Amino acid sequence: MSDEQYRRDYAHHLIEQVNKGHMTRRQLLVRASVFGFSATAAGSLLAACGGSTSGGGSASPAPSGTGMPAPVMGGTLKAVLPPSITDLDPVTIYDQGGIVLISQFCEYLIDLDDKNGLKPKLAESWSPNTDASVWTFKLRQGVVFSDGSAFEAADVAATMDRLVDPKSGSAALSALGGILSPGGTVATDAATVTFNLDKPFADFPFMVSASSYNTVMLPRTYKGDWAKNPVGTGPWTMKEYVAKQKCTAVKNPTYWGKDAAGNQLPYMDQIDWVLVQDESAANLQLQSGAIDLQPQTVFQGSQALFADPNLRVDIYPGTGIREVAFNVNKDPWQDANLRQAVAWCLDREAINKALYDGRSNLGYDTFWEPTVYPGSPTPAPRAQDYDKAKQLLSDAGKSGGLEITLTVAKYLENPQLAQLIQAQCAPAGINVKLDQISYEAIYAGTQSGPNTDTPWLSAPMVIVEWGSRPTPGVFAQAMLLPDSAWSSSHWNNKDFATTFNQYMATSDEATRTTLGTKLSQIQQDDTPILVPFFITQLRTQKKTVYGVQGPGSFYCDVSQAFVATA
Amino acid sequence: MLRLIGRRLLLMVPTLILVSILIFALAEVLPGDVGRSILGPYATDEQVRILNKELGADKPLYERYARWAGGFVTGDWGDSLLLKVPVFPTVMKALGNSLLLAGFALLIIVPVSIVLGVFAGLRRDSVLDRGITISTLSMTVIPEFVSGVVLLYIFAVWLKWLPVTAMPPDGSPFVSRFYYLILPAIPLMFLELGYIARMARVGTVQVLAMPYIRTAVLKGLPRRRVIFGHVLRNAMVPTVTVIGSQVGWLIGGLVVIETLFVYPGIGKLMVDAAQTHDVVMLEASVLMVAVIYMAANLIADIVVALLNPRIRMGG
Repeated sequence: MSDEQYRRDYAHHLIEQVNKGHMTRRQLLVRASVFGFSATAAGSLLAACGGSTSGGGSASPAPSGTGMPAPVMGGTLKAVLPPSITDLDPVTIYDQGGIVLISQFCEYLIDLDDKNGLKPKLAESWSPNTDASVWTFKLRQGVVFSDGSAFEAADVAATMDRLVDPKSGSAALSALGGILSPGGTVATDAATVTFNLDKPFADFPFMVSASSYNTVMLPRTYKGDWAKNPVGTGPWTMKEYVAKQKCTAVKNPTYWGKDAAGNQLPYMDQIDWVLVQDESAANLQLQSGAIDLQPQTVFQGSQALFADPNLRVDIYPGTGIREVAFNVNKDPWQDANLRQAVAWCLDREAINKALYDGRSNLGYDTFWEPTVYPGSPTPAPRAQDYDKAKQLLSDAGKSGGLEITLTVAKYLENPQLAQLIQAQCAPAGINVKLDQISYEAIYAGTQSGPNTDTPWLSAPMVIVEWGSRPTPGVFAQAMLLPDSAWSSSHWNNKDFATTFNQYMATSDEATRTTLGTKLSQIQQDDTPILVPFFITQLRTQKKTVYGVQGPGSFYCDVSQAFVATA
Repeated sequence: MLRLIGRRLLLMVPTLILVSILIFALAEVLPGDVGRSILGPYATDEQVRILNKELGADKPLYERYARWAGGFVTGDWGDSLLLKVPVFPTVMKALGNSLLLAGFALLIIVPVSIVLGVFAGLRRDSVLDRGITISTLSMTVIPEFVSGVVLLYIFAVWLKWLPVTAMPPDGSPFVSRFYYLILPAIPLMFLELGYIARMARVGTVQVLAMPYIRTAVLKGLPRRRVIFGHVLRNAMVPTVTVIGSQVGWLIGGLVVIETLFVYPGIGKLMVDAAQTHDVVMLEASVLMVAVIYMAANLIADIVVALLNPRIRMGG
């Protein structure tokens, strides 16, 4: 079957699924974007389904409050970010500061919109073969790097080979390992790239999108010296970077991008990124008017920003989690009854209220959560139930009580979450001892093999912070499979692993829904980890600032940002 | 006097060597390693091992120390392992910033605290004495992160009289830096005022009880001459020693103030380097703070010697 024939069949399949009620319209848009349908084509599919084509679309939302004013060209925007822990190298960066900065100067094959949907960037279209093991990407033409060289398929192949090379120190290897190997990316011609995957992976476009932070495209000649020679295809070029202090970005005169009205991007002349580690200091700068934009705002400690009449805090549907993992290789967590007992002790509403003022979405210990991933099966809710918890403890022979230790880093709101778990477990007879250690200590030590001793992968019970992931499958791939690199639970459920591989190898949406339901059920029933909530993302800006795009997580696009005149 | 200075300068050399060895040894017990800090929690052990080998971080401690110490003495301070920037200009710039903030703060702290302490000592047990003692001690017990946030909120966010950061925009004249340093200097004044004023008060009270002061008064010397000619000169000896010992903290210990006011000083640089195992940066910055600390104490000793001839003469 030719690719074109396959796409036609798949389009027909999507329309049929919506008409039969097996998919929502929103889900159709997401799956259509994964399989490389343009926004126009996806709109046509919706129209073919009947009814309104509005609603559930993935276009960027207008800023809250009044509508979007006309863009204002020129000027300087001042934005605040935490500084990068390391030097700026797109291959190795892993923290928010580095990722946001790099993504101003470099671009991904695929962007994410404000709802974690896919939209073309350096790739204009993409499509899989029938079992999603081979993906073909068509690249945008006429794009040049800031050093003057043309962006071509050979650059994509070199970039991806570098990212899956263990010697490169790539932070993307953990996500791409087992999916793509060196040599798997082939430049078919100057404008076409073929990804030959190690195994079928229906969510592959997400792995080369802005959700996979390191996959920005670099020239094939890249030598690992990005901080000294910052090169990319992005809307900005770097004028100055002082580590831990500031980064000045100026308009890239050769940038290819234009807005919907045909205006050259970016709108503004310059972005001054001020690098501030301390949240309180950053918030005070926002309140004093010295700063225009904070791409990611942590809720705890930032409550005053909501009441500031000069600021607007936009809320985006994030998917970040705080994983509470039970190490099933260690006592007492081999017994699923005990894991479930802890799960039934949690008052998730109260946790959400205490940590995020009720702004986050509740989770029920599965990644397949329809409030954050539209179209996912609805899991059974888990309201606090001490009788059930006590019964489970009794079934496990622990009716006299249970003593456990929860390891947690003094980082973000993790200590508060640990204290809430401690307090909510006590009435059931579960005595939680907290082991609070530093951020550095929790990630220190040997990370793999029989001698693994790093606390986040070896502690009996641990809280680990995870940023947003665009699909439940990407989360599961990273932490719930027997060969997952970052499994704090060390869960080894063969039924789940087999079902997961089937789920990733099919593009049939009815089958995916059935398999997704089964995966969700297995995960919730066996409870290798607790997922009490999915964190809503906050972005703070002056009320005069418009046009900031991105999913509100690490990635942030300010090419269409502007400051409206009063 | 020259002998005193020479002896103290010679003592600085073994002290610095000892400090550098201690820092290198202590860095070993910090959690994590350089490769892990650079590559992050999601890198594999193999990736970390390869990077550590490239950086030479897998070599024995003594070998790394010898290489670093040799480079330090010859002026080659190397590059930061994490930030990949040259260490020498980075440390010197941060040190310069810290010196400026500390110097500006001392310009306010020293005269105000001495005047308050001497007044309190001269009016011992009076309402003025109790007022000064209670108010300065009250200010001292307020942690700088509390006073700093409150001051920032009142003067930068609410009244907008002073800037919210401690660094002016690029291209601003040098003199504008002092305007930006007013707000961060105030919490430092709060912290130091009580301590130094109390030393000045105690010194004044002790000197006032000395027989030579009674003699001077009974001789009929004017009060002003007794105070400026005899009391102040002798009462300042412990105060100057205390000020000297506080300079090291004012330069290397202002992590909270530097963080809150987004000021690129050496205190924050040291903490960041320690947290990320950037031993090259940590060593250089700690050593420079040690040098400044010793230099400040040397200057304090010289001032004390000038005030007290018995010390100058080795008595």
